[in-house]
Amino acid sequence: MHPDTELTGYVTDALPPAGRARVAAHLDACADCRRAVEEGQTILANLAAGVPAPPPIDWGRYRADLSARVQARSRRAWWARPMPAVLAAGVATAVLLLAIHGLDRRPGELAAVEETMLGASLPLLQQYRVVERLDLLEDLEAIRHLDRLGAGGR
Amino acid sequence: MTQEISDETLCRRVAAQDEAAFDVLVARHQGRAYRLAWSLLRNAEDARDVSQEAFLRVYRTAGGFRGDARFSTWFYRILVNLCLDHQRRGRWWRRLLLRDDGTGDPDREVLERQPAPVADPGDALGRQQVMARLWAAVDRLSPQQRAAILLHVQEELPTSQIAEVLKCSEATVRVHLHRAVGALRKIVTRD
Repeated sequence: MHPDTELTGYVTDALPPAGRARVAAHLDACADCRRAVEEGQTILANLAAGVPAPPPIDWGRYRADLSARVQARSRRAWWARPMPAVLAAGVATAVLLLAIHGLDRRPGELAAVEETMLGASLPLLQQYRVVERLDLLEDLEAIRHLDRLGAGGR
Repeated sequence: MTQEISDETLCRRVAAQDEAAFDVLVARHQGRAYRLAWSLLRNAEDARDVSQEAFLRVYRTAGGFRGDARFSTWFYRILVNLCLDHQRRGRWWRRLLLRDDGTGDPDREVLERQPAPVADPGDALGRQQVMARLWAAVDRLSPQQRAAILLHVQEELPTSQIAEVLKCSEATVRVHLHRAVGALRKIVTRD
């Protein structure tokens, strides 16, 4: 059986001594694996010898852009910055207290709001018969001036 | 004679908001960072942007560098991960806009336009063409295989360090390299 993966380990010098000795013994007896090792060595050597160079770059501009990016990250909006743990804990506690306190007061406040709305609707309810006869889409103007209608309009 | 400050010491200083230390680290690694990013992405603008992003990560997370690995390994890991993420993000729209063989990418085209290798390997021009074909074939490898090959032949990292950069075992690196070399052999012999 051919030690396929180990052959590349052998070529890249990545095998422990025992593994290297085992592969070397196999290579002595196997021409196919010897050819695979030679081809692998040639390919890696050619790649190493001919690493393509990237297009040239203006390093002054590169550094200036990087510096600008560092500054931009440092000036991030306050809400986007990581919050210190103590401050975060304080804000969380304050929000929690407000929520609990707000929930305690809520039923009373709701009742007051409902009373105010009912009181404001009373004059309209008094004109109920007029409202009943109106075509809502056409007589919005009449609804807006219900308080000016006389008793005859009821 | 002044002893050069190690990368690891500079990184600890960056964590303490020492901007001069950051400048020294950038000056030391900018060339290799840009070259490796370009080798992985084959686009100069993307390589420039991604390598700068890697330095920004160093600036922001220097405090997280534990010092149990070399700075260069930690930095390569950041850079290679950013390149692989960049490729993953760009893959779906590249498939839509460009042909799958990479046509349309000017940096890649330089490699792809090379003619087939000539018979005489001793000939200088022929050798140049063989290399161009080989590197064009490297571009067609999977991202992990390409990263492993580049870290090995270009950055000359041993498999143990490649494993740290790619966050995998040495055995996995050997498998990546084995498959990469196998694929290159097939491509080269077929061409």
